Amino acid sequence: MTVYKRNYRSYSGPVTPMRWRWLVITRHSLAEVFGSRVSVVLFVICMVPALLSAVVIYVANSETARLLLNMRGPAMTIIDNRFFFRLLELQGWLALFLTAWIGPAMVSPDLTNGALPLFLSRPISRAEYVAGKLLVLGMVLSAVTWAPLLLLFGIQAQLAQGWLWPNLYIVPGLIAGGLLWIAVLALLALAVSAWVRWRIVATGLIVALVFIPAGFGAVVSGVLRTPWGLVLNLPYMLTLVWSHLLRTPIGWRREPLPLSAAWIALIAVGALCLIMLNKRILARQVVRG
Amino acid sequence: MLNGLRGVLKGRAIGLLGPNGSGKSTLINTLLGFHAPSRGTARVFDLDIRQSSKEIRAAVGYMPENDAFIANMSGIRYVRYMAELAGLPPEQAMERAHEAFFYVGLGEVRYRKLGTYSLGMKQLAKLAQAIAHGPKLLILDEPTNGLDPLARQRMIQLVREIRDAGDMRLLISSHLLRDVDETCDEVLILKDGRIAAICDLEEERRSNRKFIEMETIGADQEFSEAVQALGCECAVFGHGRMKVVMPDAVEIRDLYTVAAKQGVQIRRMDHRRDSLEDIFLNAMEGKATGAAHDRL
Repeated sequence: MTVYKRNYRSYSGPVTPMRWRWLVITRHSLAEVFGSRVSVVLFVICMVPALLSAVVIYVANSETARLLLNMRGPAMTIIDNRFFFRLLELQGWLALFLTAWIGPAMVSPDLTNGALPLFLSRPISRAEYVAGKLLVLGMVLSAVTWAPLLLLFGIQAQLAQGWLWPNLYIVPGLIAGGLLWIAVLALLALAVSAWVRWRIVATGLIVALVFIPAGFGAVVSGVLRTPWGLVLNLPYMLTLVWSHLLRTPIGWRREPLPLSAAWIALIAVGALCLIMLNKRILARQVVRG
Repeated sequence: MLNGLRGVLKGRAIGLLGPNGSGKSTLINTLLGFHAPSRGTARVFDLDIRQSSKEIRAAVGYMPENDAFIANMSGIRYVRYMAELAGLPPEQAMERAHEAFFYVGLGEVRYRKLGTYSLGMKQLAKLAQAIAHGPKLLILDEPTNGLDPLARQRMIQLVREIRDAGDMRLLISSHLLRDVDETCDEVLILKDGRIAAICDLEEERRSNRKFIEMETIGADQEFSEAVQALGCECAVFGHGRMKVVMPDAVEIRDLYTVAAKQGVQIRRMDHRRDSLEDIFLNAMEGKATGAAHDRL
């Protein structure tokens, strides 16, 4: 019988496992993200440096390519931990702008018109809802940060004989560094999305929350002549951790802060975002006025 | 805040009544596991809300009181999404979403974005998402909120159809007594977070059908005795007014026959109308009605 002629009937077919049902949120949100042309364009732009780096790695390892490009002598670019560090920094910035665009559309549409209680009236907990949304950002941002860098590492290892083993420590460094930045960005984006209804404002706020405290921290450091103002500088904190993970020197004018300060600052930011989410991701409808 | 709630609800369609702030929505939220009870517990389909919250929610369809939609999403995708979250595989969820949309009468607008729906359409879309996965219990929180008379009639008709189909039980919270009267067979009345009355409306309606109030001309002791001889209980008041409680075997036409034989004119005959409003008002005043009293 055609659908429109059917009457109501109960459902007795198969059901999906309850444990993995929160992944439905991830799947639908991912489809929502890539349903936007702007998001797709931004995503492609984020891939450009990684693609160019692949060319650089190839040229650096191929004498023939260098000759064809009229580049005589040894390769000008050295593919080492500093190369991957700089690339991670660049991809990290791009990931910030990508997050600023896609992040605000994560929670806000579910909250604006009260759809959240419908999600949570299914066998989905608040934590699973947040996990489902975090995974979306995690997947998209991984695809523009540590995943392509890992691929580049693989290409370099393939092209340069004997390069792999001395540089193997870069792999966990890239993964951990990338995931750390993704976690901070994703939590920040979800927290902002949960509290700010307007997309453009939320986009601006995500970027502002990275830059404004950094500026304020710089003023504090300048006035009080202390490096501790850098604690408010989220990119610097990340740089500190990445430098440690990728064993690169810290290129900073001032005396660097201890690594533990960076970890504490990052954990504090994450905890603050979780508190903000906890206040807003509620099952019941709260009607004001 | 709910306090001292103790009772069993077994009706196929249970109405939840009470003034604003009496705890109707809190009770629904508690049953859905949104609020953890500070003391005591409740069981839905023999599942404890403290231990089996997810299993309960898997068996429930919930239509909240206020707006609950994603404005930028098409109706069909929204219902499919919710059905998938309830556990249906994607293909079945899509098929059931189409079915649900046609069932509630929104088949033609199912590809439109929810933000463009009228209030009545949004209410029906909420109903569609609540029934798409075929729940065992359907919780409707103020289902006719903000609807015009036609849309309200349509919603009530749908709720009745769902009730009569017998596939799921209903819990309908409303402050509109008429909605509950037209759709429910049992009612729980709350006041200040406590049970004011539990009333089996079917039983009440049955007993009302047996209770007759009459105005007559010429009725006397002889007529009263003749009516009692039929097996009825009878009380005579002044000016020919009588109240009669009929046993199941006696029909109204038997009363007319007796009256005709004795030359008594029956000028008015009414079934007792102890309406839901009376039950509600009595409960608010702290009095218990017949059926309600039995259950408390």
